[in-house]
Amino acid sequence: MAETDLQKIKLEVKEVIIKTLNIKKLKPAEIDDSAPLFAPGNAFGLDSVDAIDIIMRIQSHFNVRIGDQNLARDVLESIDTLAEFIQKERNN
Amino acid sequence: MKEIEFKHKMAAHCESGTVTALLNHGGLEITEPMVFGIASGIFFGYFESSNFPFPMFIVRNKPGSIRKNIAKRLGVKFYTENFKKSQQGIDKLDSLLAEGHPVATQVDFYYMEYLPKYIRTHVNVHFLSIIGKNEKNYLVSDSYHREKAELGAEVLNKARFVGGYMAPKGFLFYPDYIPENIDFNKAIIKGIKKAAHDMIKLPVPFVGVKGIRKFARKVTGWPDLARDIDHLSHEIMKINIFLEDQGTGGAGFRFLYATFLQQAAQRLNDGQLEGMSKRMMAIGDDWRNISYFAAKIGKNRDLGKERLNELSQMINVMADKEQAFFSELYKMVK
Repeated sequence: MAETDLQKIKLEVKEVIIKTLNIKKLKPAEIDDSAPLFAPGNAFGLDSVDAIDIIMRIQSHFNVRIGDQNLARDVLESIDTLAEFIQKERNN
Repeated sequence: MKEIEFKHKMAAHCESGTVTALLNHGGLEITEPMVFGIASGIFFGYFESSNFPFPMFIVRNKPGSIRKNIAKRLGVKFYTENFKKSQQGIDKLDSLLAEGHPVATQVDFYYMEYLPKYIRTHVNVHFLSIIGKNEKNYLVSDSYHREKAELGAEVLNKARFVGGYMAPKGFLFYPDYIPENIDFNKAIIKGIKKAAHDMIKLPVPFVGVKGIRKFARKVTGWPDLARDIDHLSHEIMKINIFLEDQGTGGAGFRFLYATFLQQAAQRLNDGQLEGMSKRMMAIGDDWRNISYFAAKIGKNRDLGKERLNELSQMINVMADKEQAFFSELYKMVK
C-alpha cells in the first residue's frame, strides 16, 4: 500500500515539475526517478531559481514545508527523495 | 588520536547548529531553533559603505552573537581563543582534541572540500566542530553536511587562518561550563524581548524594520550603482542567495524563528505565542516570494523601473508586516 502511494506521489511530483518548468515535450515516464535534479549537468538544466520555484509549487500542491535549504538540498536530490519526503511528511 | 564520540546532526545554520551540537554533547538538551531564538538571532540590516562594493543586507544578528547571547542567557561559559600565529592555533586545537574536547572553529567555507563545489563560496564566518584527528586529516562535524567528514590538516589550517574581512584568526570555542539548573522560560522571554526591541526600537535608520524600509526605498536606485545589466542582475539575484542559500533555514531565518516561537509556546503553554509562530511562518512565506521574484527578474534580466518598483513595494509590505508582528511580540513579553 505504502509502495503504491509512493508511486502515485512520484507521478504527481513529476507532473508538478513538468508544469512548473513548462517542459511540454517531456512525459513523466521519461523522467528517471533516481537521476539528480539540480547538480551541475543535470538532465533538466535546472538552476537555483528553478529550485525555489519547484519548492514553492511542491509546498502548495502537497501542503508540506521545505523550509531549510540544507534539507532542500537533500530533498530535491531526485524524484525518489522528493516523493519519500512528501510521503513521510504526510504520515507525520 | 581517536575520534571523540559525537552526535552529528544537520542544522539550518552553521553557528546555531554548532553551538547546539556542542551543548548537546555537553549534556544540555536544547534544539537549534531554541538556541537561535534565545540568542535573539532574528534581525535585519541594510548597509551601504565605501568598504562594500555594493549595498548589502543581513537577516540575522552579528556572527558570534549566538554563542555570546546563549552564554549570557543560559549561564553557559565558553572557552574561546584566537591566535596571532597559526602554529599556536594548530597546537591548541590538537591539545584540546587530545584532552577529549570537541571544538568549534571558525573557517572560510570555501575550503570545506567534502561539500559540493557549487555551493562553496568564500565566507570567512563558517562554524563547524572538529571531533578528532587521524594521521593526515581532521574529523569534522559540519551541520551543512549529511554525515561526519574528514578534512586534510593543511586545508583546515588554511581555512582557519585566511585573511580578509572578518578573518577567523584560528578562532575556536567550546562550552567548558554548563549549569545544571537553567531557567529556560526566563531565557526565552529575554531572547524574544531583545529580538523584538532590536527590530522595532533601535534608533538607527538602517536596522530592524527601518532597515527593511530603507532596503525597499533604495533597491529602485540599484541600477545607478551597477556597472551594467549583468552586474545589476547578479546583485538582484543575490537577494535570493542572502535570503535562502546562506544557512538561513529558509526565508531569511524567518522559518527558523517561527519554529522557535512554536517550541517556546509549547514550553510556556502560551496559545498566543503559538499564534505568533504561525504568523511568522506566513511572513517567511512572503519573504520567500520576494526571494523567488528577485531571482526570476534577475535571471531574465527583467530589471526595468516597473519591476524594481514592484520589488520595492513587496519589500515595503514586509516592513509593515514585521513592524506589526514585532510590536505585538514586544508587548507580549514587556
